[in-house]
Amino acid sequence: MTADPRSFPETSRAALRDPGLRIALGRLRTHFALGRAQAVERYPDWEALRESSRAIRDYALAHLDTLLLRFEQNVYASGGHVHWARDAKEAREIVLAILRKADARTVIKGKSMVSEEVGLNDFLAANGIETVETDLGEYIVQLRREPPSHIIAPAFHLNKEDVARTFRDAHNTLDPERPLSERSDLVAEARRVLRARFESADAGITGANFLTASEGAAVLVTNEGNGDLTRLLPKTHIVLTGLEKIVASMEHAAVLLRLLTRSATGQDISSYVTVMKGPRAGADSDGGKNFHVVLVDNGRTPLLGTEAEEVLRCIRCAACLNHCPVYAAVGGHAYGATYTGPIGAALNPGLMGVQVARHHANASTFCGRCAEVCPVKIPLPKIMRYWRAREYASGVAPRGMTASLGVWAFVAKRPTFYAVATLIAARLLKLLSRNGQVHQLPIMRNWFAVRDFPAPQGRTFQQLWAKRG
Amino acid sequence: MNARSEILSAIRARQVTSAPAPPDYHAPTPADLVQAFADHAQLANAEVRFIDSEADTPGTIADLLRARNFPAVVHVPPSCMSLPWHIAPGLTVEATSPGPDDAAMAIAPFGIAETGTLAYPSGTDSPASWHFCAGFEIAVLRAAAILPHMENVIACFKAGGLPSTINFVTGPSRTGDIEQTLELGAHGPKALAILIVKD
Repeated sequence: MTADPRSFPETSRAALRDPGLRIALGRLRTHFALGRAQAVERYPDWEALRESSRAIRDYALAHLDTLLLRFEQNVYASGGHVHWARDAKEAREIVLAILRKADARTVIKGKSMVSEEVGLNDFLAANGIETVETDLGEYIVQLRREPPSHIIAPAFHLNKEDVARTFRDAHNTLDPERPLSERSDLVAEARRVLRARFESADAGITGANFLTASEGAAVLVTNEGNGDLTRLLPKTHIVLTGLEKIVASMEHAAVLLRLLTRSATGQDISSYVTVMKGPRAGADSDGGKNFHVVLVDNGRTPLLGTEAEEVLRCIRCAACLNHCPVYAAVGGHAYGATYTGPIGAALNPGLMGVQVARHHANASTFCGRCAEVCPVKIPLPKIMRYWRAREYASGVAPRGMTASLGVWAFVAKRPTFYAVATLIAARLLKLLSRNGQVHQLPIMRNWFAVRDFPAPQGRTFQQLWAKRG
Repeated sequence: MNARSEILSAIRARQVTSAPAPPDYHAPTPADLVQAFADHAQLANAEVRFIDSEADTPGTIADLLRARNFPAVVHVPPSCMSLPWHIAPGLTVEATSPGPDDAAMAIAPFGIAETGTLAYPSGTDSPASWHFCAGFEIAVLRAAAILPHMENVIACFKAGGLPSTINFVTGPSRTGDIEQTLELGAHGPKALAILIVKD
């Protein structure tokens, strides 16, 4: 990963000047947001479904320890193994140890954001194990040595011409004259190239959308079928996922599924939903012999019991990204983190530290659309506000910001002074205006560079309020 | 302290405010299960045909293959070998695992009306990988096996002991990863046909 959350102001400015990215980001509204709106409209009682799902996630988080233990016990009962990773390093090492033991040299992967979060691919490559991403979007960004730019659409930032160039460079043994101008050409080529990789891989790694405690099963949602080939063809299957993905039962997962796919892609259900319980059983005619689940904490449990704990309800549908004006302006790469958009802004300061990810929590207009569309009712702006308060309290906020907030607080706590100060400010602004607009001031130059401020025309709000009596 | 006990004690130390057990959620149930199933499956780009009995399967499969310009070859799991394949002359039946351009047949023990979904358990007679390896999957489903919701199907599987894999399949494989535009046949089948056996 080249970008860093600390450079968000610079990377987002660069993103705003990228014409290709503007075209790609335009599809948020026309594709994702529209698809979700239509799916929600079709569903008879969306709000009741949301409320049930919120309750299901809150129940799971309130009983995290018992549910994880029940899950572990049931995975072992069906012949699988469960591993616990405190942090990213431990997660990487656990996966490597499993692969070493299985004598695996090539690994195919279904989409897993947690594997991005812990930096798995580079680590395995450094240890002589080749990984091939098989989700089409993830495969494309892997070939380009880029991180995914969207939680559910990793190559969201690209147009089909970019993909064609990438394939011509990567698949250099194929006929250079072959047509790749249509999306269907690109999909067919990836299908052909990757099928061979599926058949020869020693191990498969997927994520999980849900872990169900009562059954010891992982539930995986895909549209392409790559996750299933990843589970079924190699000898060893590793599920790498965050420990907060636990729910009490498969019945609970079934309720959440209704929200997940509708919120994500606008589908009533994805093409494939797979319940994966242990390795190949006695009567099965296929499937791998080894089944491992790696439960990753990596900064999640410290969020429990804080004002940010609701962020752990997240089911990674990406609806908040798809409805966010900030994400729609800068795209995913500017964030320099695995989780982007509003969920990134609410989660990253917890996972990466306020000092590292403070810009994410500040990159919000607080318009509230993210919370409105969140299927599990995460109060995303509230959590971003919490991180802003933490930033202020911990002293990592820039001097200019803390100083001006200090001045404002001093004035705001003294009503008489406040009334006089605002009166003077209003008069001053009127004096500085031309045609009813303030065009620039010696402060807030960036703000005034692209906007005018309507000048106050008469009395202050307090004066008007007093008169209203 | 090892990772497991450290994580568990961290959770216990920070346990969040108690949350009551969530009340059961009941999704709205469609009035006509078979019709709802067929409608939703078609919305998900599956082709739906009704047949009178399982014995009509070979002829219908031959017809589907012709209509889609597939070679007259179908890969059939062990349990379906006993169907009257001879009534579809010219149709070759293969017992091997299907490749990415092959047609394969599957028996779906359950369907879900709410979403037009087929439900397959892993087991001796139903290789789970076939649902993803084939280029064209032809599923046979009894109308009486169409249940309202996923929860009903889960209950049926649980009653018989959960298999190691359950595949819920709705329509053919697809991707929107290039320009958010739907393309069928990403890794799994490019087409899905469902033969509903009327009771």
